[in-house]
Amino acid sequence: MKNQSKNIFRRDFLKGLGAIPLLGFFTFKFRDVIAVEAKKKHKDYLRLLGIESLEAPKVRLLPSTGTGTNRIRIGLIGNGWRGDQLLQSFGFIHPNQVKENTVNGKYNEWLTTFLAQEDLNVEFAGVCDTFTLHANRGLEISMNDVRPGGGRGTTKPVKIYPTYREMIESKEIDAVVIATPDHWHAPIAIAAAKAGKHVFLEKPMTHSIEEAIELRNTIKSTGVVFQLGHENRQQMSFRIARELIQKGVLGTVSMIQTFTNRNGPYGAWIRKRKYDDQGNPDNINWKEFLGNTPWHEFDPKRYFNWHRFSEYGTGFTGNDFSHQYDCINQVMRVGIPESVVAMGGQYYYKNCGDMPDVLNAIFSYPKKGLTLTYDGTLKNGIYRENYIMGSEAAMYLDLGIKIFQDDYSERYKDNGMDSSEPLYLYTGGTEVDAVSSATARAYIKGGYGSTYIDGKVIDASFLHIKEWIDAIRNQTKTSCNIDEGFDEAVTFNLANLAYVNNKKVLWDPLAEKVTMV
Amino acid sequence: MKNDNIAQSYSNWQIFSLTFLRVLIGWHFLYEGFVKLFSSPSWSAESYLAGSVGPFAPVFKDIASDPAWLIVVNYLNIWGLILIGFSLFIGLFARPFKLFGIVLLSLYYLAYPPFAALVILTPVEGSYWIVNKNLIEMAALFVLFLFPTSGITGIDRYFQKKS
Repeated sequence: MKNQSKNIFRRDFLKGLGAIPLLGFFTFKFRDVIAVEAKKKHKDYLRLLGIESLEAPKVRLLPSTGTGTNRIRIGLIGNGWRGDQLLQSFGFIHPNQVKENTVNGKYNEWLTTFLAQEDLNVEFAGVCDTFTLHANRGLEISMNDVRPGGGRGTTKPVKIYPTYREMIESKEIDAVVIATPDHWHAPIAIAAAKAGKHVFLEKPMTHSIEEAIELRNTIKSTGVVFQLGHENRQQMSFRIARELIQKGVLGTVSMIQTFTNRNGPYGAWIRKRKYDDQGNPDNINWKEFLGNTPWHEFDPKRYFNWHRFSEYGTGFTGNDFSHQYDCINQVMRVGIPESVVAMGGQYYYKNCGDMPDVLNAIFSYPKKGLTLTYDGTLKNGIYRENYIMGSEAAMYLDLGIKIFQDDYSERYKDNGMDSSEPLYLYTGGTEVDAVSSATARAYIKGGYGSTYIDGKVIDASFLHIKEWIDAIRNQTKTSCNIDEGFDEAVTFNLANLAYVNNKKVLWDPLAEKVTMV
Repeated sequence: MKNDNIAQSYSNWQIFSLTFLRVLIGWHFLYEGFVKLFSSPSWSAESYLAGSVGPFAPVFKDIASDPAWLIVVNYLNIWGLILIGFSLFIGLFARPFKLFGIVLLSLYYLAYPPFAALVILTPVEGSYWIVNKNLIEMAALFVLFLFPTSGITGIDRYFQKKS
């Protein structure tokens, strides 16, 4: 009896220590595991890179400049799909967008975010478009009072100008936004600058090198505030990348690779939009669209898919490489290459224009000791970041940044890191959702959608336009000014010349002349 | 029925499963705490707090930007995790420490709440909407709070009055 109760007591007593063996195992083993874990989990990226701190992420949003009565009157030239997007960045949307984003009388997340956008204090004062429906849509947009700042009760119908000529001559317009097909970019921007209007010009800057030279000279001589529409200038990851490269984290950069990968007609700029079916010679000013290009009978394909016709568009390089190039140029200050070769062809989308589907271009910079390449295909949609390859490390750059040390790096050889693990990681504060199309996802991931600044996720196009508006008011500089635009326009146009002529193209920076060999 | 009395009526399997859950959560807390304690360079909640999203983000961001507060928060977090983990593991003073655990987890939850509009802005593994692992661990701790085992399979057993 006594023994039994002793046993029960012992069993009972031991019950309370049930978890102790496990704790023993934990204590015995955790130090080995933790050494690996702690190192992996809390890497001090900046110390690994040999950098004390980074300045770029400390940048704060600039305060509004539009608080007083200094309202800027904007004229929009070209209210197609991009014009529409730009108006949104200015704070103007179509009443239908309000309807579509209102559920049970309440604004949804998208509309609420839009209304919280800073009121830039601009007036949508003029619009013109060769397509009447687009111009009328501008009028409908101007009448919508649901906008950031509550519209301040100043809604008035936008004036529709027959062409850009009347608009730039008007005393009721202070600045113009140009979102036309590429062949009209330079002629309109030059005329507007000469008329003293500030210019926001969509990318790519010009259709030819000659136009780029003339536009640059005009902007410089007139002194108007110019911004080229590469909104990725506002991308935080590019700013951080620039600082990291300036501080030497990659060592000597010998090669930069850029890419476009798209698959399907939409990605190949064969697009059918809402109003395209309604376009006809009665509501499209066909002659005005053609401008100085060779005469053709009215052709909706040419009008709505102008990107694919070299008379109007700038092809692969102007449409997409210009983005990648502007990313690299702001990060690395590569400038214009000394020579360019390009090859490719139109193999798949043969019934619309002369734009190639596959293109490879090599941009050579012997004085800088590096080569920049561009590989584009419209028949494969795999995603690739821009790669910047240095003697010490390689950088994968888009909305985020990944840096991998080189196995043969002198600088990083003692830091104990595996070259398959990133030495530095910046995620950009935004993740791409799974709903958007592949082309849209690549666009967002590429850094052209939103950026992360001052603890907030903000649309890059809005910031880019704000920068232009603030620069007009404060006479400050824009980030994608005429010199930056000149680099972009000359570089991609060199590739187009090389492709079309199937020759190596040389650039003489002093004479600003092209020779082909 | 009072919680203490519930424990009297557990079956052996119930005791085992509740104890197992208690030890698992204890293990998790203890390990998280030790990883932070032993990491080099020393761990800081700065980037976690600075990147926080949602309605409470301003509070967390303020803490991240104040060095004095950061020291306090880092210290409380690391030792909070370790002590809660240790308590659950061996069943010592488990009742109050379960509540501390719920408070700590709720702070993690509020710093990165898995609400639909914020999800795409936050780079985290997995997909969560309202319910995430923090919330589930909080719920598990609450169950353990209502169905205690430390009085049977923990050191708390030796501090209880004999009935």
